[in-house]
This record gives sequence, structure tokens and C-alpha cells, in this order.
Amino acid sequence: MSQDDDKWGIAHVHASFNNTIMTVTDLTGAETIAKSSGGTAVKQNRDEASPYAAMQMAEGVAEEVKAAGITGLHVRVRGPGGNLQKSPGPGAQATIRALARSGIEIGRIEDVTPIPHDGSRAPKGKGGF
Amino acid sequence: MRIAVTGTPGTGKTSATELLPDRFGDRGVDLGSVATDGEIRAELSSGRNRLSTDGVCHLNDLLESESLYTDVDEDRDSVIADLDALEAAVDDRAPLVVESHLSHHLQADRVVVLRCEPTELERRLRDRGESAAKARENAESEALDVILAEAVEIHGRDAVYEIDTTDIDPVSVADRIADVVVGKRDPSAGTVDFVGYLG
Ligand SMILES: Nc1ncnc2c1ncn2[C@@H]1O[C@H](COP(=O)(O)OP(=O)(O)O)[C@@H](O)[C@H]1O
Ligand SMILES: [Mg+2]
Repeated sequence: MSQDDDKWGIAHVHASFNNTIMTVTDLTGAETIAKSSGGTAVKQNRDEASPYAAMQMAEGVAEEVKAAGITGLHVRVRGPGGNLQKSPGPGAQATIRALARSGIEIGRIEDVTPIPHDGSRAPKGKGGF
Repeated sequence: MRIAVTGTPGTGKTSATELLPDRFGDRGVDLGSVATDGEIRAELSSGRNRLSTDGVCHLNDLLESESLYTDVDEDRDSVIADLDALEAAVDDRAPLVVESHLSHHLQADRVVVLRCEPTELERRLRDRGESAAKARENAESEALDVILAEAVEIHGRDAVYEIDTTDIDPVSVADRIADVVVGKRDPSAGTVDFVGYLG
């Protein structure tokens, strides 16, 4: 399928330790098409339901996105859910899978997780001692 | 026994750990007698790891003075730490407390993760004279719990002690760290949610 510009958007996924939020914008990032409000669901079920809440959040956003005529999403992941082997939080994976399951085509997945630094930083992808 | 004090730059690690020896040694408090944990009581009572100035290792200083890095990240004006060399250097010195945003990458028995609300963290870093870009990326890291997640991933939930410093002064932070040292605090992780900072 050709990536028709007006049918594609960007899903900005912020996956923290125990919360996941997502904003969907157009390709320029200027216009917000949908915004999640999944945080509260995640917080209520902190111990065991985080991936489930992230999935529910993504499903809700997917419906809004499809209603706006978007058929495909590039994904920009930020947070430990995106770059650690074993995600302790809900992770971006559950979110991306839920988007795909709802029939949205997934394009490029980019990890843009910030790096703590203070004159020094850890090597990339360093998961343990 | 080693206690790692980590957290995003700006959470107040250096400020609080500099006060630690003062909270104990200089006031004549015998750490060994207040420790609830058997192993640490023995260690503190023996004097080997007493919280003197030498008992706290500030990794930023060590890394710079010994050039313990492999590469440079030009974009971030930061060196890329050689964690094996850092571990060896710290091991030699055998400090009780190791303080740095990299300390959770080293071996540790307990890991204290200092936290700070990202807007406040950004302000602290700007006040300390850091660039807007550096303050911003660190605030985003804090909003996404990057260091907390790494600490839990590496050391397990039972070894992690999260302390929110947003509304408390460095002396109070030092007292809470001291509680972890002597075994008077329970492990905790995920007690704050700062992701709203990213809108
Ligand atoms: N508990 C605190 N409350 C308010 N400001 C603080 C606190 N701890 C440190 N600061 C200030 O914030 C800045 C960063 O503190 P610092 O100890 O250098 O943090 P770190 O070592 O974690 O990078 C410093 O300017 C310091 O004076
Ligand atoms: Mg410091």
C-alpha cells in the first residue's frame, strides 16, 4: 500500500514505569488527531494490569484515529518500555500490538528515549552490570 | 555492602550524599548501633565502612579524574562511561555509598533512586547553570522513569528504594538515605507518576 500522506499519522507513545500515554498527530506533528486518557486506568491497576490498561488505552485511541480517516501510523516510542529487553512497565509493545490488531497499518517504529546525562552517560543499550 | 544512590541529574544526589557523613560521623552517632540489618550493623560497627567522607564515592569525580570512559557523545557534551573500569575503580575503594546517575549500573546491595517532579528538576538544573537542552532531556528522562526502570530491571524490585525529593530539602533527603543504609526503610518503586510533564 502506498503511504498516502493524508491517511498516515504519527503515534507518539510515552511509556514510563507504570503508565503509558499516547498522542496521535498528523505527519508534521502539528495537528493532534487523538489523545489518550489511559493514565488513570493504569494507575488503578498498578500491580498487575499495566499492559492490559495500555492495550485498552491504545484500542480507544485506535477507534478515534480510524474515525478521522487515518489508516496507518508511524510510531515514535519514548520511555523504558521502548528500549529495555524486559519491560517492567506496560511497555510500548502492548500499545503497538493493540494498534495493529485494531486494523491500523504500522509503519516505521522509532525509539527516541531520552538519555540521562551529566557530563557522562551510560553506553547505549546497557541493561545491567 | 554497597548502597548505590542514583537518580536523574538534578534530583539532588550530590547535595544529599555530601550531607550524609555529617548526619552521622561528625555528630557522633554510632551507625552500627542504629542499624537494624545484621550484616550492615556488623560492617558499620567494625569501622571498615563507617560513613566518613571516604565512605561516599562521587562517581562523577572519579570518572573524570581517572578518565574512565571509552567514547564521547558530542551532542550531549558527555563522555560515555566505561562501566567495567568504573566498577573496578569503585571496588578498589570499597565505599559504603556510591553516588551518580550511573551508580545503578554497578553492583549494589541496595539502590536508592532519587526522584523529582520534572518541571522542578528542569528549574534546578537551569539554576545550577546547565543548558536548556540538557535540562530538558534530563527532565524528559525523569518524566519517563528511565533510571527507576533501569534500577528495577538490573537489581530487582526488592532492592530499590524510591525517594521523592520534590518538596523536601537536602537534609531530609540525606536522612531518608540514611534510613535505607541502616535498614529502616522498605523497598519501593513506582510511587510517583510524572508522565504528565510530556503532555
Ligand atoms: N532537595 C532539594 N531541594 C531543592 N533543591 C535542591 C535539592 N537538592 C539539590 N538541589 C539543588 O538542585 C541542583 C542539583 O542538585 P545536585 O545535588 O547537584 O543534583 P545531582 O547530583 O543529582 O545532579 C543544585 O543546584 C542544588 O542546589
Ligand atoms: Mg551530582
